[in-house]
Amino acid sequence: MTANLRTGIALAVALLLVATLPRWAGDQYQLHLAALICVYWILIAGLNLVVGYTGQLSIGHVGLLAIGAYAFAILAGKMGWHPAAALIAAGALGGLCGLALGLPSLRLPGFYFAMATMAFALIVGEIVLAQVGLTGGGVGLPGPVFPAPFDTPHGFYYLVAALAVLTTWLSWNVARRLWGIGLMSIRDNPVAAQAVGVPLFRAKLTVFVFSGITAGIAGATFSSLQSYITPDTFVFELSLFFFVCIIIGGRGSIVGPFLGTVVLTALPELVAPLAKLGNFFYGLLLLVVVLAVPEGIGRMVEVVIERVRPRVVSNEPIEPDLPRLARAIGAPS
Amino acid sequence: MSSTVSLPVGPAFAPPVAASTQQAAATLEANDIGKHFGGIHALEGVSLQLRAGEVHGLIGPNGSGKTTLLNLLSGYYQPNSGVIRLDGEDLSTATVQHRSRLGIARTFQKPRLLPTLPVLDNAVLGAWPHARAGFLATAFGLPWVGREDRALRARAVELLHGVGLGHVLRRRANLLSHAEQRFLEIARGLAMRPRFILLDEPAGGLTGHEIANLGDVIRTLRDGGIGVLLVEHHTDFVFRVCDRVTTLNVGRVIKHGAPDEVRNDAEVIRVYLGA
Repeated sequence: MTANLRTGIALAVALLLVATLPRWAGDQYQLHLAALICVYWILIAGLNLVVGYTGQLSIGHVGLLAIGAYAFAILAGKMGWHPAAALIAAGALGGLCGLALGLPSLRLPGFYFAMATMAFALIVGEIVLAQVGLTGGGVGLPGPVFPAPFDTPHGFYYLVAALAVLTTWLSWNVARRLWGIGLMSIRDNPVAAQAVGVPLFRAKLTVFVFSGITAGIAGATFSSLQSYITPDTFVFELSLFFFVCIIIGGRGSIVGPFLGTVVLTALPELVAPLAKLGNFFYGLLLLVVVLAVPEGIGRMVEVVIERVRPRVVSNEPIEPDLPRLARAIGAPS
Repeated sequence: MSSTVSLPVGPAFAPPVAASTQQAAATLEANDIGKHFGGIHALEGVSLQLRAGEVHGLIGPNGSGKTTLLNLLSGYYQPNSGVIRLDGEDLSTATVQHRSRLGIARTFQKPRLLPTLPVLDNAVLGAWPHARAGFLATAFGLPWVGREDRALRARAVELLHGVGLGHVLRRRANLLSHAEQRFLEIARGLAMRPRFILLDEPAGGLTGHEIANLGDVIRTLRDGGIGVLLVEHHTDFVFRVCDRVTTLNVGRVIKHGAPDEVRNDAEVIRVYLGA
């Protein structure tokens, strides 16, 4: 129960921080940055189930982000849909494209799956560039604004923060239940996963479609936040950025990748010298984390404690409790 | 998916949850199985009947096809000829996952666990075939999903205490001793509520005391109505706990019967046991 209490307190504090952020954010730019972190996190929270839990190395999610962003800009901008309807449509389209990408590629072993998702991202970029009539080609499209009360920076922040909390809640529910363990069994030991009945392909496809939906929704809000989108907005490096956020955060954790997203988004912007370093900063951070704390920054405290004060693993003998075992087996179901 | 073969005897459609009357007749059988890998004949004309509530030993020299047969029964391989049946239903081409839902569990020669997860999480993974919660119900945190999750965990805790791992519920699996890993795999298999459990060299690397405990566990499973297939090299152990024993040599059954018959069979002594 104490663990539950601690989780509860941490959750309450986190929610309070998210809700009051506009009050203590220094200026509009910091608020913009907070909104950007939320938008990225909507995508990464879904992608985390694919990469961090199921161990499928997708580096193509910028393609799904672009699809959501363009769907929203076209539907809500050019075609005059209500932004709420366009947002839902963007999510649905992201999910469909996730299905279309996942169906052929999720049967491939790790490295080839990564290549397939990369190819997908590059193809989406080319299509966006070529379909001038629909997407504006290289010139791009304006990102539609959400209606009041979400048309101010404050209002928009609360919108994306709410969506980010929602996707976090959904992925947390999956992660902490049997489904989360099942996903990690696909990552760590597919042979054992099979033995206990986890449907490998269907489970992978399910979380991949989920990550497509969150990427589509993230894309829609992203186009609104950027106020103008062009193919250059969706460079392939962005895909690697999402991926790196999860790896730096640590696999099989939600807090870690969230911290990774915050740090990697905010640090280069807030600390001017780091911005000049650009990709060098990401590269260096990735190297340091992978070498020093491969468990990820989410588990850094845990790892440091364990190194300073290694847990004594006592080897008590295994003494079966046969009556209890007989009861647990019970009358065969 | 498996095709159902109607047989002159026995029910064509065995309900997934066996009624107690059918429990007595429940068998997992391999019938005249042939399996080859390229030009190598791993198994030829092998038959074996595993009955519920019975411990069946499978012994033989290295390379005689014991693990191949276990992989055929659990669905990792499909036979080139012959049939695998569960209560008369043809399972020869059924997936591993389908068989797990029908109540066939197994362990591995080298324990296959999730190294960074606690013992309890590893054990509760076995409850997968019995969890009704799909992805959406789980993601939206429906109250019954939480209740189901807690119930499955509670049962896994009981099983872990039962096999003697109650003191390490929260320990990461990669910090377990070899014996603990073996018992954890058995607990995970039992979380599947199996009707049959196939153990691939469970005594390998265990001390004498641990092997004795393993024997107690296996007998408890048998008395609980579970059919146990024991692939093992510790022949003393096999003859002590098994009700029946099958001996393989280069892909063929050379002797099948009660432990004493097998132990005193001239051919078995010649190819495997030694004088």
